[in-house]
Amino acid sequence: MVSSTGMPCQELVERVSSYLDDALPPAERGRCDEHLRTCAGCCAYLAQMELVVSALGELRRSEGEENAAEKARLLDLFRTRAPHNRAPRERSVPLGIADAFAAPGDHIGYLCEDDQEFDATAGFLAAGLERDEVCVLLGHDAANARVLAGLERHGLPPYDMQRRDRLHTVSGQQPTDALLREIDVRIRAAVDDGVPMVRVLGHLGWEQPRWPAEREILSLEARVTDAVRNLPSVVLCAYDVRWLSGRRLLLGGLECHPLTLRRAALRHNEHYVAAEQFLARLSADV
Amino acid sequence: MTEAAANNSGAAQVAALDNLSVIDALRRGDEGAFARLVDQYHPSLRRVARLYIANRAIADEVVQDTWLGVIQGIWAFERRSSLKTWIFRILINRAKTRAAREGRSVPFPRFDAAVEAAEAAVAPHRFQPVDHPTEPGRWTHPPPDLGASPERWLLAQETRQHLQSAIAELPEHQRLVLILRDVEGCSTEEVCNALGIQETNTRVLLHRARAKVRAALEPYLKRV
Repeated sequence: MVSSTGMPCQELVERVSSYLDDALPPAERGRCDEHLRTCAGCCAYLAQMELVVSALGELRRSEGEENAAEKARLLDLFRTRAPHNRAPRERSVPLGIADAFAAPGDHIGYLCEDDQEFDATAGFLAAGLERDEVCVLLGHDAANARVLAGLERHGLPPYDMQRRDRLHTVSGQQPTDALLREIDVRIRAAVDDGVPMVRVLGHLGWEQPRWPAEREILSLEARVTDAVRNLPSVVLCAYDVRWLSGRRLLLGGLECHPLTLRRAALRHNEHYVAAEQFLARLSADV
Repeated sequence: MTEAAANNSGAAQVAALDNLSVIDALRRGDEGAFARLVDQYHPSLRRVARLYIANRAIADEVVQDTWLGVIQGIWAFERRSSLKTWIFRILINRAKTRAAREGRSVPFPRFDAAVEAAEAAVAPHRFQPVDHPTEPGRWTHPPPDLGASPERWLLAQETRQHLQSAIAELPEHQRLVLILRDVEGCSTEEVCNALGIQETNTRVLLHRARAKVRAALEPYLKRV
């Protein structure tokens, strides 16, 4: 029978799924309840649907397959690859420059000395984009233009990558605290979205209009290492030895990066100074 | 707030606290916490990966990759969603990428297009026509009442087989939503977040999937 509120059986069956999930607006739920009070056919339909949904849940409970070997392998992965493990991490991330591999959390100073090496930094981002990673580019205008042109040559149109949230450019024309925060936010947002790794490429703007002063850039470099150590990210900062002063190469390039990339070799850097010590010295150094 | 909603929000608070302590434990390197997480989600992750990738070995690689993503990403995880939603989202991202790489067309990005065509939950010939003078849209062939022992039916091996073949017949979008929601026990919100689709569309896909599974099971439901 069609109830006084006028819901036909044929309409009720279209609402049963949301009814079961308690997802109907109150008025509509009321109309369904009203109808069900008097309709045996719809009650039977609802009961069948409830039983089917319970049976689907039973599939999960009865299907737990135990696989001890697999579990052991995963635990091993946790032991060796998690950030809490202070042992040298497995270098599993292809840098896209020469054949070098880095580990998640690495902060690398890339010492380049000709145009070819400079342009290779686009390859660092391209390798990530090809692996569905997210890339962050922090550079001065001239460097950015060359890197983006390089991506185009790799068949990765920058505009398209930006539109799909795979490539972000972060402006260097802001205070270093804001800069560091923006990079951190980009990394965390990507990880939240289920992205495997975030690459950050720095072509820092020393003496570029409205960029932070040298001392500020140096303090940024010093703080980046600890900021990304536990994150699934690789940060590569290009130091073009043709144009940079000896002081910037020494303090920025060597003392702030635990690793350096020079020609094809990624090396532990003995000149690296822990951030706290570096910053203390920097502030004493007038 | 209805009683059900109040219970739900209470449960959500407990879940949120659990999440916090699990995340902290993982960050500290607590292997026991990680092992429990694997026990809890690994079978689900394998089943969902296989929805995207037929080859079991490759699907298992995707699952292992997902765990690596969890391990390496735990310090960056912002808790904007639940831990469970996050893990499924990592899995689904990796699975789509891998499926595309294996040369399989990925039918999933256009979820919203999949809900356009209207389908009836129950064949229209089982109701009075809509222009019937006194009983429009009323059952003419209603489903029979359940018998006395639905619990036995619920747990029977035969039921599992019928369900599995009914699930296998579903269009892919409906199958994915049904499995996440009803088999894996994700909330509707978790399904939306994991798949990146709107709630309305999730509900439509789920409704159609459930209706089809019920219809396929109806002949076996008479005797329970």
